[in-house]
Amino acid sequence: MPDALTSRECRAAPGGLRSAPAVALALVLLTAARLAAAAPPPAPAHAAPPPAATPAKPAGATAAAPSAGDAADTRGLDEQVQGLKKDVVDLNRDLFILEEELLFPANTQVAVFLAVDVGDFFGLDSVQLKIDNKEVINYLYTPREVDALLKGGVQRLYIGNLKVGQHELVAFFNGKGPRDRAYRRGASIKFEKGIGAKYLELKINDRQRKLQPEFEIRDWE
Amino acid sequence: MRVLLQCTALALLGAGGVALAQRSYGLIARTAPDFTLHAVAGGNVRLSEHRGEVVVLSFWSSGCGTCRRQLDALNRSLATYRSAGLAVYGVGVDDVPARAAEYARGILVAFPMLLDPDKAVGRAYEVDNLPMTVLIDRSGTIRNVLRDFSAKSDDIYLEQLRVLLNE
Repeated sequence: MPDALTSRECRAAPGGLRSAPAVALALVLLTAARLAAAAPPPAPAHAAPPPAATPAKPAGATAAAPSAGDAADTRGLDEQVQGLKKDVVDLNRDLFILEEELLFPANTQVAVFLAVDVGDFFGLDSVQLKIDNKEVINYLYTPREVDALLKGGVQRLYIGNLKVGQHELVAFFNGKGPRDRAYRRGASIKFEKGIGAKYLELKINDRQRKLQPEFEIRDWE
Repeated sequence: MRVLLQCTALALLGAGGVALAQRSYGLIARTAPDFTLHAVAGGNVRLSEHRGEVVVLSFWSSGCGTCRRQLDALNRSLATYRSAGLAVYGVGVDDVPARAAEYARGILVAFPMLLDPDKAVGRAYEVDNLPMTVLIDRSGTIRNVLRDFSAKSDDIYLEQLRVLLNE
């Protein structure tokens, strides 16, 4: 049995990046188990003693004392729940960062962002991205997303991995152009992928002089 | 007496069939697969933008006779329950996109008619019958599916819809 486990581990080792979700899942389970272990045991008030064990007291006294204790217990429990919720949110954030680092290491990472400036001459509908003649994303925009972009938002359209060297990115922008006509334009850039992460920006501008939209791709140095 | 027994058996089979249809759908109680599709009129639609609303997806095709009646029935329910947080989308899984677009334009409904030309959404929702209606609750979980349209299934649909809208 130990041999079988060892051989499975050996096979899994080369695909380290592919097993990232499994690592993340294991981390979640491990941390959840630790949290559960670290959490104080349930308040003893829940394990109420049997009525027979309580000494005989006047009815008014027995009613008042447990209610005050219950309120304190409830408050304590509520604080514990809030603490746990905060831990879960923190853990989720850490796992998200870990997942990004594992799936897209800085030395191979390529990210493409999209921004829109003004947008009077072009109504964005979709963007198709090709890297080295291979389609990597075809993204459809909803009216809400377009509104967010027009308000100055920048969207991370794509994140992936590329080898070091020369690459070509081609972007096709589909939408409605001047006079509400179907409009499709392309833009391309050849870029050098170095050792660090690469960031590219697609930008849609209005060219006021020609009353036409303008599409450009910039390399964030 | 024999007729009565036969009718009872048929009724039981019918009820069993409805229950079987519900059970055999593998996506019940799972998060509804997200998608973004082109609408025949208006902007694109993304399902995840409608969290907090009860969403009804109706899969149709231009070659499906009963789809039209069902879309009309959904339109009536939308008119009644829109203010309670109901969103309805028709998803066309036609082989020919142009024919689907023409069919969608010919139907007078108040909800967006979406086109799924490569059937990716149809596959994600395991569409195996047309018309097929999927009910998604406010948290984005698939709760019910109806795989046919009749007066009876419309009653079931409205009953299930009211439950989801009351949550």
